[in-house]
Amino acid sequence: MSDELEQLYQSTYTAVVRFLYRKVWDAERAEDLAQEVFVRALAHRPEKPRAWVFAVAANLARDEARAAVRRKRHLTLLKGDPVALPAVELAADDAVEHDEQMAAVQEALNTLTPRDREILLLWDAGLSYPEIAAQTGLAVGAVGTTLARARRRLVEAHDRRHTRTGTDAAHS
Amino acid sequence: MRHIPEDELHAYLDQALSRSQCVEIESHLAECPSCRATRDGIAALRDRTTGLLARLAPPRRVPMAFEALRHEGHLRASIRRRRIRAAAWAASLVIAVGTGWAAAALSRQEPSRPVARASEAPTPQQTVAVVETTPANAPDSDPPVTPTPRPHHVARPAPAVERAEPAQPADRDVADLQAKLALLDVSAPVQLAPIEPSADRAAESGGMWRTMSWDGARDETGDELPHIEGLPVIRVQVQASDHGRRPLMVVAQQLASGQVIETIEGPANDVSQFLSRRGEGAATALAPGEVGLPSAADQSMAMQVGGDRMLAVTGALPADSLRAMIRRINAEMRGK
Repeated sequence: MSDELEQLYQSTYTAVVRFLYRKVWDAERAEDLAQEVFVRALAHRPEKPRAWVFAVAANLARDEARAAVRRKRHLTLLKGDPVALPAVELAADDAVEHDEQMAAVQEALNTLTPRDREILLLWDAGLSYPEIAAQTGLAVGAVGTTLARARRRLVEAHDRRHTRTGTDAAHS
Repeated sequence: MRHIPEDELHAYLDQALSRSQCVEIESHLAECPSCRATRDGIAALRDRTTGLLARLAPPRRVPMAFEALRHEGHLRASIRRRRIRAAAWAASLVIAVGTGWAAAALSRQEPSRPVARASEAPTPQQTVAVVETTPANAPDSDPPVTPTPRPHHVARPAPAVERAEPAQPADRDVADLQAKLALLDVSAPVQLAPIEPSADRAAESGGMWRTMSWDGARDETGDELPHIEGLPVIRVQVQASDHGRRPLMVVAQQLASGQVIETIEGPANDVSQFLSRRGEGAATALAPGEVGLPSAADQSMAMQVGGDRMLAVTGALPADSLRAMIRRINAEMRGK
């Protein structure tokens, strides 16, 4: 059982971090939460660990949004100089471009409805249609429809932003 | 001829269809240029989406070793055990004090009545009610609570007991309650016996502890004391170190609310031992329950930092706050 979880950890940890990152937008926090997910998996030993891990990750991300408000309140106690987190090591120009490209996609993603976004992110994290259906309560047949719409809207929103800003460096 | 709906083509490209559905779609595609064009468009859209989302990835880092994760799980289990034990302890103390108060009240009414007999008055139902008022009984509750029962809290159950009909006690509980009452001065339940930190406790905790001045500790540890910038430091403790390693350090600081936050940094083994020992109740040079010292409502959060060091924060705050603090402290220590 533990071995199974260990394999799952090796194969999906990165996907879980990415999935969480796209919800909390903080790399370190995403890693903390991903570790939390797997520590819980070790304690719970779920039957379908892969689906379970993403379901718990989604829940934690949701709690995180709620807790952010509370945390803010507690951290006012510690307000002071800004936290110097170790910077991502990228050359300055690359970093700027990387940030811009990311912001463009992030903005486009935010134009989707929460459900469309969730399903797109779950698909991108590697879940199958039945797994996505089970997690979101959608019918399996509706996953394709939702994905079709989500993909179209994401690309449209992204391209719209580009024509608006006129910077087209980010085209893939 | 029916064209293939777009969502079916998405599902087809996502390999989410059964073999028979695929065969049906493929045979249609073979003879329908329009659907082939649609399929190509969808394939491009799909790739485009994947490409865009790929930009939304955090910097890739080597994940924590699975073993470390397992360790974290064990650590947490022991902290959980500690909290349950602490809650049980606090609950039994509340019962005992409450009972003592009631006993004192009753003995004031009937001075001739021996205290021990009066203590038999509470029924099991009343005991349950008292337990429910104990904040430490809910180990995972968010709001920070002080588990040490305050006298006026403790006094609350008393009137209920006074009003209650004296009930026949369950015999097996009586001895237990009497034993607990023996610890307390029944006439003055406000007086909880203070637990003195003693040298024995320090020795128990796996190494001699020294309480030092902030400056002294700073000199000794090379200016790398774990702490939260800007909060008053109320205590610095350093465990005697062996073979020149930087020792286990515990810095206690006080929030404006009076709560105490401890920051612990040291060799990973020592830190996890320290936390789990505390979980066993044998912890450290400090006694639980004293004002300004760690309380049962405290939670601990630990984090592996560079090499075999570990950083931990303990305090009666929500896990999120502790995590935020630990990251901040780590960032500041790494920044040096």
